[in-house]
Amino acid sequence: MTAAVAVAIFGAAASIAIAAAAIGSASAQGKAAAAAMDATWRQPEAANDVRTSMMLALVFMEALTLFVFALIFVLNGTVAGAAR
Amino acid sequence: MNPLFLAAEGAAEHSDIIFVIPGINLPVTSAVTTMWGVMLLLFAIAFIGTRHLQIVPRRRSQALVEFIVDGLMSFLGTVIGKKRARQFLPILASFFLFILFSNYSGLLPGAGHVRGLRQPTSNWGVTAGLAGIVFTLVLFYGIKERGFSYFAHMFQPIYLAPLLVPLGLIEELVRPFALSLRLVANMFGGETVVLALLMAVPYFLPIIPMALEIIFGAIQAFIFTFLTAIYLSTAVEEAHH
Repeated sequence: MTAAVAVAIFGAAASIAIAAAAIGSASAQGKAAAAAMDATWRQPEAANDVRTSMMLALVFMEALTLFVFALIFVLNGTVAGAAR
Repeated sequence: MNPLFLAAEGAAEHSDIIFVIPGINLPVTSAVTTMWGVMLLLFAIAFIGTRHLQIVPRRRSQALVEFIVDGLMSFLGTVIGKKRARQFLPILASFFLFILFSNYSGLLPGAGHVRGLRQPTSNWGVTAGLAGIVFTLVLFYGIKERGFSYFAHMFQPIYLAPLLVPLGLIEELVRPFALSLRLVANMFGGETVVLALLMAVPYFLPIIPMALEIIFGAIQAFIFTFLTAIYLSTAVEEAHH
């Protein structure tokens, strides 16, 4: 297998991995944001508390996609090194 | 050459050593000089803003500093309580301002291309250092305020201790890892998106992700401070069962 093919396969795999992680994070964040908006609408005086806890929840979901992103960069170096 | 490889090579530590401090043999990179710039700026703001303090601020610089401190104080007060917010305000405000200015330094013209100017927070070494400070502070304040009962939650039902001790230790170690990776991945990700768009459409289109970077830079500085505040306050407060 030539280096170019290896890099191409890695690129395709990385795109799919990021996309899969993003789908999960996005749907979870959407649910959390929707629930927070519901709560704010029902009880506008609690808006600040809801916003704070929503932010905290969103951060942890977002981190999962970013872990995949970081992992791809680590693997990127390995693949580029092996392909040379 | 794909943008991913270019970005990864540009981010490599050894590629942009500006000079080496003799004696201790410490290489100084563009990220380090940018951090020095950020520090100088913050020192200057703090110095100018706190000269000839007045009870009712008549100078804009004092009003600006009071605005920043008051805003952070009232926000942290709602999250971890007034007393703890007052106690931890110096370190939390430093984190917030340093990360905010570091994130925004990546938006300056020429950042990443000019020698000596590069966004420090898109470098894992920098954020890992910040998260290491948080890790040390959490352990220090937890043990200082609560003694070794800080570790008591790992032994709560004693028969589960063989399971809970490794889990508790992993949790302690994963926190700084996630904290640093969240910041660096966001900042580096933004940089990579701008770079990729720059290669596809050199004019106008990269403005959109750069504008988003203004929002993300503030949000990430805020998130880092927020999580640090929560970690510190849960470390010093007794667990309520």
